[in-house]
Amino acid sequence: MRAYPLTWRLLDVLEAGVAKVFPRRLAGATPYLMLAPAVLLVGLLVLGLFQIADGSLRTLDTTTFLMSESYSLDNFRRALTEPLFRNVALKSFTGSLIVTAITLMLALPYAYVMVRTKSAALRKILLIALFLPFFIGQVVRAYGWLIILGNQGLVNETLSFLGIGPFRLIYNYPAVLFGLIQYMLPFAVLMLAPALTAIPEETEAAAESLGANWIQTFIHVVLPMARPGFVGAGLVVMTLSLTDFAIPAILGGGSQDFIANAIYDQFFRTSDQGLGATLALLLVAAGSTLVALVFALVGTGTLGMGRAKQ
Amino acid sequence: MKDLKNPILEMTRRRFLSATASIGSVAALSAAGMSTVGLQGALAAEPEKPKEIIVRAWGGSWVDSLKAGVSDSFTKLTGIAVRHDLTEDNEIQPKVWAAVAQKRVPPIHVNWDTTTNATKSALRGVTEDLSDLSNLATVTDLAKPVGLDGYPIVNTYGYVYVLAYRPSAFPDGPPTSWKALLDPKFKGRIALYNDGIGFHFPAQVAGGGKVEDIPGNMQPAWDFITKVKDQRPLLGEDPDFTNWFQNGEIDLACTISTNAREAKKNGVDIKWVVPEEGAKFETDGLWIPKGLPENELYWAKQYINHALTRDAQQVWLDGLGLPGVVPGLTPPADLVGDPSYPTTPEDFKHLIRVSNKIQVENESAWFGKFKAIMQS
Amino acid sequence: MTAAKTGLDRLAVEKPVGSTAVSVRNVNMVFGDYRAVDDASFDLEEGKFLTILGPSGSGKTTLLRMIAGFQAPTSGEIAINGIPVGQVPPNKRSIGMVFQKLALFPHMTAAQNVAFPLKMRRFDARTIPSRVAKYLELVKLGGFANRRIHELSGGQQQRVAIARALVFEPDLLLLDEPLAALDRKLREEMQLEFRRIQRELGVSTINVTHDQREALVVSDEIIVMDKGRIQQNAKPSATYRQPSNSFVAGFIGVTNFLSGLVTDVTDSDVAFVAGTQPLFGRWVSTNVRLKAGQTVKGAVRAEQIRVAATPDRLDDLQTTVAGTVMDVIFEGERVVYEVRLPSLQDATIRVFDHDPSQHAEFEAGARVFVGWNARDVLIFAE
Repeated sequence: MRAYPLTWRLLDVLEAGVAKVFPRRLAGATPYLMLAPAVLLVGLLVLGLFQIADGSLRTLDTTTFLMSESYSLDNFRRALTEPLFRNVALKSFTGSLIVTAITLMLALPYAYVMVRTKSAALRKILLIALFLPFFIGQVVRAYGWLIILGNQGLVNETLSFLGIGPFRLIYNYPAVLFGLIQYMLPFAVLMLAPALTAIPEETEAAAESLGANWIQTFIHVVLPMARPGFVGAGLVVMTLSLTDFAIPAILGGGSQDFIANAIYDQFFRTSDQGLGATLALLLVAAGSTLVALVFALVGTGTLGMGRAKQ
Repeated sequence: MKDLKNPILEMTRRRFLSATASIGSVAALSAAGMSTVGLQGALAAEPEKPKEIIVRAWGGSWVDSLKAGVSDSFTKLTGIAVRHDLTEDNEIQPKVWAAVAQKRVPPIHVNWDTTTNATKSALRGVTEDLSDLSNLATVTDLAKPVGLDGYPIVNTYGYVYVLAYRPSAFPDGPPTSWKALLDPKFKGRIALYNDGIGFHFPAQVAGGGKVEDIPGNMQPAWDFITKVKDQRPLLGEDPDFTNWFQNGEIDLACTISTNAREAKKNGVDIKWVVPEEGAKFETDGLWIPKGLPENELYWAKQYINHALTRDAQQVWLDGLGLPGVVPGLTPPADLVGDPSYPTTPEDFKHLIRVSNKIQVENESAWFGKFKAIMQS
Repeated sequence: MTAAKTGLDRLAVEKPVGSTAVSVRNVNMVFGDYRAVDDASFDLEEGKFLTILGPSGSGKTTLLRMIAGFQAPTSGEIAINGIPVGQVPPNKRSIGMVFQKLALFPHMTAAQNVAFPLKMRRFDARTIPSRVAKYLELVKLGGFANRRIHELSGGQQQRVAIARALVFEPDLLLLDEPLAALDRKLREEMQLEFRRIQRELGVSTINVTHDQREALVVSDEIIVMDKGRIQQNAKPSATYRQPSNSFVAGFIGVTNFLSGLVTDVTDSDVAFVAGTQPLFGRWVSTNVRLKAGQTVKGAVRAEQIRVAATPDRLDDLQTTVAGTVMDVIFEGERVVYEVRLPSLQDATIRVFDHDPSQHAEFEAGARVFVGWNARDVLIFAE
């Protein structure tokens, strides 16, 4: 007994204590116990959703600015029929699809070089370039673009030296998409990188030795094997851009609203919490449907559950 | 985001004008001893002072003016510090509503708000009655919220949504009509508020309609706004206009004169007019949310009372460049005779005013319609 | 494709017997100041199975990757079928390779994996299915064509990898330790399978391994490498029986080294003393002169030593030494004794008894005698 280190005896005491509080036969419950905080959080979220659902069924009375006591589907009728919401929804969905496609196209070579390069310095530079914008934040970055792309900004100043311009580079739809792509790129790269890392270099070498040039290797081996990464990155980029608020608000010049901006307007500009709740609910539903569709069609990718297949 | 600016005065233009005229005649009499009324009188039985009171305000030159004119002198008089909460007006509103609904102490003591926004809160019943403020005896009719019982809000000044322009873009003289917005050479170089506030009514006139038809038939307004939409306007909020003028993004905008004046103070050559179709006149006010402890309510009321003194109004509104609700104020030198600083009945002739009841009930629909046009 | 790419029966289109499939000349690979491959030269005869054997870090894999084209030698020349391949990228070389981790394509079926090189090398699309089927049959996976890779066992995956590397009938097959990760039984089975397929197709093959047993079983030729240098290039039996230096002697089989001082040298025999024990051995490298007083190592394999309770049972052997059993390891088909020899400065040697049922099984601590023939002691200069 004396030969045991003190820490061992300490641990023995602790273990005995734990055994009293949490008997061995309950050990099967441990994983569930650890799940509890997550379940609690999700539960709160669901509770909030119920409240939003309740709100969505009440209309605003503009003589008292209170929500109606009775339920009606009027908000849903308005959300689904009024051209404003149709336009905004169309703009958001089209935008998020374009942003997703372009972001993935740009993220792939970036992630590939970052993962495969033999140069530690290059990898470091790529990583820093990737993470730096994270510390800057969305709003500040968007304002940065206003400064750079504005009528008297860096780009137009440079163009004016060449005798052309100025061009209106901000406050339009392409500017919003550009801002979103720039904001989403790091997310996509970070989601793609593990999927690319999981492809053994040996597999690419094998394809080469079997007669494939690098383009063929990329198309027939790297892309299909990176698919889980594409699915994961695509879903993250799509849902984040679909629900984005700041970039359309700042770079859109007020005329390029996404769904989140329309929701904000209802809650904070017209005080119509019912319609705001309805729009929020419809956005959640549309987003979930989109995600479910992708899951059903191409699997869960790196967001997936269960053990990864080889 | 100070964009909900609607007058509360539910009166015809004529009635308003006669009211201001009569106030003007008594102004000289009461001007002398007015600044100390109220605060001094209350000293006798004043309740316990809180360390500080929280006043919600708009940022930039707005809060600077309030601090210089009202808050600093209030602190000097009472020893109570004033903290300015710069949460946007439209974001503080649901917080206050939630606090009152849950019988919590609200997050602010005094809300500096647009009259329309404040009216919503008053209709909802979350505002304290301010009828017992002593300085209400000496203010103009502009201060009284019409169509509401008592004083759930006190209006503190008025302002005009002018057509602001860059003189260098108008070598042949200033614009005279809102139709200047349709000039092809300004395509992409014009700006409006992002919900169209301040623009709906002049657009109704410019589109060939009548102010009397609001809200029944506003088609002329929507037709005109649709034409403006093809000019690809920038849509923003108060600070955006100042920035856009300064950064050379726009030449022409419908905005509160204060924002244009701010750009001018920063060295940009900006002027403004009230075009021939007229321009919208609005008020802002102060109110107190329900649910404050008794003593804090008392001192919050004293703050508003102090804001109605001539000295406080003079400094505060010099900063904003807006006409106040106390008789005998001296206009800032650069605004004497300016159409955005209406003082005479002649000035008010050119301004469009619509009943606040109509505005509060319809503005959601108007905003929606405006957005639908702009987002298509 | 060329006429050579027509059928399974490669031996029918036989190249001239004895022509050189691969020729490696003075190849060096230097990373910074580390010399991974140091002046390697060898030829591989058409149709032969060559194994490059060495411990990890010996440079064997680097040498293989240079032949495959994944790395360019710092200097020297590699030729395949007489044509230098210095500038030829891997996908333009006619080389099938089986990788250490197989590198199968997990998103394809077995058949799609095997068809991949045919598609990449633009084989006539009409012939691809029959060719794939033929090669899957060759590796005994006829019924598994449509299985996904993760649905196959380890051994089956090995077979897919082999079929994929051979289906386009490459001039050369490279094996980069593909069996290293398998359990012993499967490994031994696959070794024989490699040998069978290689013989059947007659494809020139270079195999890399650190498993000496595998090298002995499958190869026509063995190159032993250490520290980037080729130590020996010989047939398996010669590598075993006539190791060219003490590294090879020690790397292959279980070898006891007895250090001592030379007392007498003839043309092929050496007398030397280890501790107080006079010993005799065979001198193999005749190109170096040994002198009396020089330090040498005598190498004697564990299976060439016999152990007995009394010296008279060993009197057919030239050298008999008394010792003490330190440890007894029972391995089934044989028993391994570790015996300490006091007269050899307490050197401990290992002895195999391959037929323990015929002899007494000694226990640890038993006093025994060990003996061997002088011709089984190979002398290497230190």
